[in-house]
Amino acid sequence: MANFPVSKPAPPRAAMRVVGIPEIRENLVDRAARGDVEAFEELYRENVGRVYLLCLRMCGDPSLAEELAQEAFIRAWQKLGSFRGDSAFSTWLHRVTVNVVLGDRRSTARREARVKPAGEDLPVDLSTPEPSPGQALDLERSIAALPDGARTVFVLHDVEGYRHKEIARLTGVAEGTSKAQLHRARKLLRKALAS
Amino acid sequence: MNCREFTDRIDEFLDGRLGTVEAESLRMHLADCTSCTAELASIRELRDLATALPRSLEPPRDLWPGIEARVSRTKEVRGRFGRRALLAAAAAVVVVSSVVTAYFIGRSQAIVLTAEPRAAVESGPSEMLLASFEGLGVNNYLDTRTELLDALEARKHELSGETMDVVMENLLLIDRAMDRIAEALGEDPENEFLMKQLAGAYRRQIDLLQRAVRMPAEV
Repeated sequence: MANFPVSKPAPPRAAMRVVGIPEIRENLVDRAARGDVEAFEELYRENVGRVYLLCLRMCGDPSLAEELAQEAFIRAWQKLGSFRGDSAFSTWLHRVTVNVVLGDRRSTARREARVKPAGEDLPVDLSTPEPSPGQALDLERSIAALPDGARTVFVLHDVEGYRHKEIARLTGVAEGTSKAQLHRARKLLRKALAS
Repeated sequence: MNCREFTDRIDEFLDGRLGTVEAESLRMHLADCTSCTAELASIRELRDLATALPRSLEPPRDLWPGIEARVSRTKEVRGRFGRRALLAAAAAVVVVSSVVTAYFIGRSQAIVLTAEPRAAVESGPSEMLLASFEGLGVNNYLDTRTELLDALEARKHELSGETMDVVMENLLLIDRAMDRIAEALGEDPENEFLMKQLAGAYRRQIDLLQRAVRMPAEV
């Protein structure tokens, strides 16, 4: 039996949009945008867990998720000048991360070369009464086993709360395709969870 | 409302985003359809489960040293030339390489757009172009694409519905072509012809978006 990492209970979605005190965040972001690496490291420490987990869920491969998370922070550093501050830094970073993961998928040279695990490195929240750890683990494993397109849309829509319109724009598919992929993902997941 | 229409609207219904009339129509359908009632309950359960999943997980190793090594190098360059000068230099390289791309710089949303000569579109991407794409990275393409789509979205009330339909239809066609090329590359990653085709498709999509964003107001 693999040792599954335990994470803290998930906060409400609205709370995920702002990390820390906004004034301090703004200060850190401004400092980082001016080239302050220490400020950027603080931003990294605050956000790496969420960035890594998003990468892991979207790609289903722990070692690739590490690479993508690193790349997401490097991209964020490079693009800090274009962060306009009209959303929380964590929200902006989330979008940068999604773009990095989707970009990697288009970079096909390594896409098929990777072996996808069955979600054994994904977290199980043992401190939350619902869903039960077993249910969460089953769901994580089932998500990891989904086909790429269906997994991406399910993670973005049902886990991360994106709408089809935004998913369509980020992934370059039609809204109808996004809906169809979600339908497919849910069908596969319900079948997997029922078995 | 039939079962298919129900399936199309189920997310809006669950999110409370359906209008009163449509929501009522959906409820009436549910009252008569046990299959859709079961479907709704099942999807609601799955969504609740997904929403409650953890949002954060520390990676097995500290990723910062690798990030620090790379950002520190950038810092040295930034400190020497300044961010705007660096981006301007990057834009100049892009022009020389005949790549179509866009940089949205700074909080003022200054935009630098560069366009390639038309002949390059017809003759296909050059080796230099491919090298440039490699240097820029596909993520830049996706970011640029998303930013141009945002710009197009902001302008859509100025463009006719017909124009928007044509643009979106063509984007979709290019997307599908790119998916097919990407699939083929998955089986044959070193295929130079396919790489050229993919790079050409990226470029055409950005070109299409730039043209749409620059179009004079029609409405």
